[in-house]
Amino acid sequence: MGIEYFLQQLVNGICLGGMYALMSVGYSLVYSIMNFSNFAHGGVIMVGAYVGYFALTALNVPFLPAFLLCGVGSGLLAVIIERLVYSPLRKRHAPSLYFIISAMGASIFLENFVIATIDGTPRNYPPIFDNRINIGGISLGVDSLLMIVVSAVALLILMFIIQKTKVGLAIRACSYSEKASTLMGINGDLVIFIIFLMGGVLAGFAGMLYGMRFIVKPTIGQVTNKSFVAAVFGGLGSLPGAIVGSVLLGIMEIFVASFNSNLRDLFVYGLLILVLVIKPSGLMGKVVEDKA
Amino acid sequence: MRKSMKKLIALTLACLMLATLFVGCGKKDDGGSSGGDTIKLGWMGSLTGDQAAYGTCESQTLKMMVEDLNANGGLLGKQVELICYDTKGDAQEAVNVAKRLCAQDQVCAIIGPNASGQCIAIQSVLDQYKISDMSTVATNEKVTMQDGQLKEYNFRVCFLDPQQGKIAGSFVYDNLGFDKAAILYDVNDDYALGLKDNFVKVFESKGGTIVAEEGYTAGDTDFTAQLTKIKEAQPQIIFTPIFYQDFIMIHKQARTLGIEVPMLGGDGCASEVLFDAADAVDGSYVINHVSLVDPAGDAFRKEYAEKYNGAKMELNGYMAHDAFLLWCAAVEKAGSDDPQAIADAYSQVEVEGMAGKIKISAEDHNPVGKSGCVERIDGKNKTYVFETYIAAD
Repeated sequence: MGIEYFLQQLVNGICLGGMYALMSVGYSLVYSIMNFSNFAHGGVIMVGAYVGYFALTALNVPFLPAFLLCGVGSGLLAVIIERLVYSPLRKRHAPSLYFIISAMGASIFLENFVIATIDGTPRNYPPIFDNRINIGGISLGVDSLLMIVVSAVALLILMFIIQKTKVGLAIRACSYSEKASTLMGINGDLVIFIIFLMGGVLAGFAGMLYGMRFIVKPTIGQVTNKSFVAAVFGGLGSLPGAIVGSVLLGIMEIFVASFNSNLRDLFVYGLLILVLVIKPSGLMGKVVEDKA
Repeated sequence: MRKSMKKLIALTLACLMLATLFVGCGKKDDGGSSGGDTIKLGWMGSLTGDQAAYGTCESQTLKMMVEDLNANGGLLGKQVELICYDTKGDAQEAVNVAKRLCAQDQVCAIIGPNASGQCIAIQSVLDQYKISDMSTVATNEKVTMQDGQLKEYNFRVCFLDPQQGKIAGSFVYDNLGFDKAAILYDVNDDYALGLKDNFVKVFESKGGTIVAEEGYTAGDTDFTAQLTKIKEAQPQIIFTPIFYQDFIMIHKQARTLGIEVPMLGGDGCASEVLFDAADAVDGSYVINHVSLVDPAGDAFRKEYAEKYNGAKMELNGYMAHDAFLLWCAAVEKAGSDDPQAIADAYSQVEVEGMAGKIKISAEDHNPVGKSGCVERIDGKNKTYVFETYIAAD
């Protein structure tokens, strides 16, 4: 158990965390404005994985267009879900519990919709980036590296949009108070549209990267539970929090699993409870009273 | 007006949601002609979920065989009607499906399901209705016997987990000449546990060492932590008594981490789907009930491929084939489609199946003296290479 072993596990953790980051940002984006956990996000990621799979196998398009197609497909789906499911609730000023329940419904609906229209058989992406990089005895898959790079670039672009553009200003304003922002002339509907579009596009990317590295099946959405934990750990509603929380969770999870793999989920969900009990705002989240 | 439109839309959506709930749990197919006087045979297995490829192959094989049988005059002068249900790979769902087959469809016997957990779960239903089940690939000991007690209506056409574990242990130590093995398995799965325990027993008794034993739970997709630990222990082979999807993911991640040693899986790994990740799984081994490349099965594979758009035959198809032959022989021996008479006849008949001569023992409802074969995966040519036959005992 030398330093090499330790570093390899660290790299494994960062790779896992990178994937969580791409997924958890979608949760945080929606939460920051609408104050509810959008559990349909997992379903959108799953559909993204399928879009990428069929683009590569049935349409035979190269990686990059397939990747973009995933973003477009999932982005559209997220927007459609918002229009069909959340928008009517918003118009009625329904309590956030209704949103959460609808989101769960939408997630189960998507899962069963895929089973009914495609099938439940798990599928494997054709090998694209199967080679690996060796740095001093530490191995890193090109697909994992790609995942980290894509996560980082996508998140940087997202942060840029939110911090530096006018749209971002509107989003930030709405995250403080949607009502007040709307009164000031900000188009709340448009902001929510953009939020879901961005979250959906990221979900599509995450879905394809997940499918490439692991597997495509209708129940992928459930895997995103852990990225939700990461978002809570980092502080729901905070983008930097989601990213930091994801990477930390990935690293901790790997080290716990390398100690005893049976403790893995016990640790992750134990952490969720612990965070909610001791510090509900997570690592970098805003004070709860502000948000809920 | 607007309000009623909304209600209409809401209603439609609700109906759609309900509809999707039901899609998948009730796929009913009529294999043969459905007249008044038919012999009804039930099949259950996974048509969706992780093991969908197995179940689909089983049901398609049975449909093909029932059609052939009916075209040749059927059984006892009657047409055979096949009723297939999806268990979604879930034990609870299997119980529901078994009830439906026994109470509603009133079949004379059941073939399937394709996993031990589901077979064990349906026992009480079978006992209640006194209808027999011939399992295809349920290799867990408890499928036919529990605590020394024979389960009257549970039968199987395949060998048992302990035998697979023993075959694996002998193969690694005797045939490959390895004495350092690692194990990676699903700690919550009866099947994996059964194989693992027996592998360890045989392998260690021969003088081998288990250098690492790592577990995971169903649904995990990241195995890098365990694999990194296994790599550190430097085994010569990794024994993976799991199912093919995990087998593929573990291979992909192991190769990425620079682990080049072969792996050895049980019959749960033997699937054509493995060739989706041909480069990663190249050089690994699987234990199987029959050799999938045995020329004796050529005609059978060809008929199946022609009927189902070039679909490849899975191991489950062979086992369903043998189970069906046993059922036909039992019905003929019984001279009727009485469920009890068929159950009694199972241990009195002998058939020449794809996996050799099959005779079911009256004592434990298992086939007598079956051996297993080990095959190597040739990723470059996307095929299995027959390695050796190893007797289980």
